[in-house]
Amino acid sequence: MIEAGHFAAFLALGAAIAQTILGLRGERRWAGMTAIAGFGLMAFSFLTLVHAFAVSDFSLALVAKHSHTLKPMLYKIAGTWGNHEGSMALWALVTLGFGAAASVLMKTDRATFEARALGVQGFLAAGAMGYLLFASSPYLRLDPAPFQGAGLNPLLQDPALSFHPPMLYLGYVGYSFVFALAAAGMMEGRIDRVWAKEARRWSLAAFVPLTIGIALGSYWAYYELGWGGWWFWDPVENASLMPWLIGAALLHSVIVTEKRENFAAWTALLAVLAFLFSIMGAFLVRSGVLTSVHAFAVDPKRGTILLFGLMAYGAMALGLFAWRGPGLKGAKPWLVGSREGAMMANNIVLVVAALTVLLGTLFPLMAEAAGRTMSVGEPYFRLTFVPILAVLLVLLPVAQSWAWGKADMTQWTRWAIAGAALVAVFAALGVGLWNISLGAAFGLALGVWLIGGAIWELRRRAVTLKRVFRVSPRVWGMTLAHMGVGLFIIGAVVETTGRYETTVALAEGDSGEAVGWTLTLDDVGSIEGPNWYADKAVLTAVKGKVKTVLEPMKRYYPAARMPTTETAIFKTGTGDLYAAIGEQRVVDGKARWVFRVYFNPLIDLVYLGVLMIGLGGLFSLVKVKR
Amino acid sequence: MKALLLSVMIALATDAPLQDPAEEARAQSLMRELRCVACENEPVSQSAAPIAEDMRARIRDMIGEGSSDQEVRDWFESRYGEFVLFRPKGRGLSGAVLWIGPFLLLVVGAVIGLLTARRKRADSARIESEDA
Repeated sequence: MIEAGHFAAFLALGAAIAQTILGLRGERRWAGMTAIAGFGLMAFSFLTLVHAFAVSDFSLALVAKHSHTLKPMLYKIAGTWGNHEGSMALWALVTLGFGAAASVLMKTDRATFEARALGVQGFLAAGAMGYLLFASSPYLRLDPAPFQGAGLNPLLQDPALSFHPPMLYLGYVGYSFVFALAAAGMMEGRIDRVWAKEARRWSLAAFVPLTIGIALGSYWAYYELGWGGWWFWDPVENASLMPWLIGAALLHSVIVTEKRENFAAWTALLAVLAFLFSIMGAFLVRSGVLTSVHAFAVDPKRGTILLFGLMAYGAMALGLFAWRGPGLKGAKPWLVGSREGAMMANNIVLVVAALTVLLGTLFPLMAEAAGRTMSVGEPYFRLTFVPILAVLLVLLPVAQSWAWGKADMTQWTRWAIAGAALVAVFAALGVGLWNISLGAAFGLALGVWLIGGAIWELRRRAVTLKRVFRVSPRVWGMTLAHMGVGLFIIGAVVETTGRYETTVALAEGDSGEAVGWTLTLDDVGSIEGPNWYADKAVLTAVKGKVKTVLEPMKRYYPAARMPTTETAIFKTGTGDLYAAIGEQRVVDGKARWVFRVYFNPLIDLVYLGVLMIGLGGLFSLVKVKR
Repeated sequence: MKALLLSVMIALATDAPLQDPAEEARAQSLMRELRCVACENEPVSQSAAPIAEDMRARIRDMIGEGSSDQEVRDWFESRYGEFVLFRPKGRGLSGAVLWIGPFLLLVVGAVIGLLTARRKRADSARIESEDA
């Protein structure tokens, strides 16, 4: 079975090479057919790997190293991509998949252009396949086969994290096809309306899963790590945030190219950058260059190969841009106060924000190379990244109504008065009533400003209220996404300023106070799961008339010899009451369990906001025939 | 045995919050910006490691004794090196690059954007407004 899959992978490599050659020679039909064939072959090959994991075939070295018979089926299957080799196989599969999908879905009536895009995608797929087969093979057998596998990192045995890597890869690899389109467009010197229509669709097809993937990873960290936080500015998280920011810039810039044939070179450059940041993200995570709580598959030797590949792709992509980019010219003139100007501001801020994340992420690595150990963490990003993005978000509601070319600037004073009034109200409420910092009050005002601005803009586009449901899905997409940003900001500000945490130590039968709730420890018992055993606490939490039972667990996975925390979360309506169980200690002659208890207000808005951004992307993909 | 019990009690007492809520809030915010020296990329507020617990206790002690935030940071830096600071220092060339770099980039970007727009305007004398 695996041998057949291994063989099919070689054939898929052959197909990718054929796709490259045929595509670059401009043979649209043949390139499309090889793309589909390559994807079919690799899909079969990948399924043989999934099958080996599902049936726990320990004669396969990869399965023996990363799986275990006692694991639930979902995690056996997800184990296929929960390791370096398997995740690279998934990467190669998705790369081929985008080529196959594009060969069916591209509709530009430009055969040579489409063929070249498929050719470039084939080239990237061949690179991924070559790396998979010759440097990181998942197909190796073990003889004799062991009777039991070594298990999968228990932290990864979680539903959200099972789908986190495939989603991220759909996003990352999606940008490889956007790059392929940019490369093909640059080869023929045409980055125009038709090109932008196609590129916009694929940019959205990458942006939506990337957004969902990041949200899944963040939600996982929130409930699985047991510290009540949802974004840690960990290098691995930053690695996915950077392509997201560039991707968001690209989504806006490509509209200018589509509607006005402006920003052609700049849009092409953003497509190149989105791709480079994506593969850099994969490199940072997969190479082991970063030491971080999230990087599970680490291997410095392969890291060198990946780094070489990253630099080669980077040199080729930027070289192509340097060669063909300057020839691309915008068509129509515009003023600063215009939609072009607004999009330019969007692009500048988002790119600078991405570069700030890059600086903060790589700086400690560079310092370490220079013999100095230092750290860059949350306080740094809070003081640089956040104000930089805030500049853009303050402008957003005002500038999104600007017309192309030259905007009507007579509304300036009204906007300024509305904004100032909003800030004044929130500053007064924040300092006087809620007892929060001015910065937090400003953040809340900004969130309301964005939501109000998005609704205002929808109303403006619809002209009359009756026509609101007849505006195009694109406008709805924009409205949802911008409202999502506002909701996210409100959630993030309230959660980070209003979160409180305490530690309580309780013996069985004891009660204690934490974050405004009375907690009673009814019982701590031992329970057993399929491949773990655990201490499970039963806590009754009471506040006023509300009563709930929290059951946090501390699991131990014997196969991996690792403990994990399973937090208990109660949604109160205004936030999460969140409990994690810690160590058992003897205090005052009594055995007591230590609990970390948090109240995280409005945390759901953080995830709701991000989901709305993703949903907005989906709406924008919908094409209406008129 | 008694000594052991006492040390356990002290260790537990470490995670007991300070009496004054304002002091406790300051202590917690410091815990989020100091790095647990035995962990991978985790602040002391988020680690179950014994050393992180000791560091939390030390932060609360110092705040309780009236130290300023900066004094706490300095104490930890003198003890564990600048590695322990998640808020990197602003001094020297590296501090300037880190703290001024992003804002400088923003200014440079804005200037480039404005120049591009000006060039665009020069391209044509008349720009018609057009609604989307």
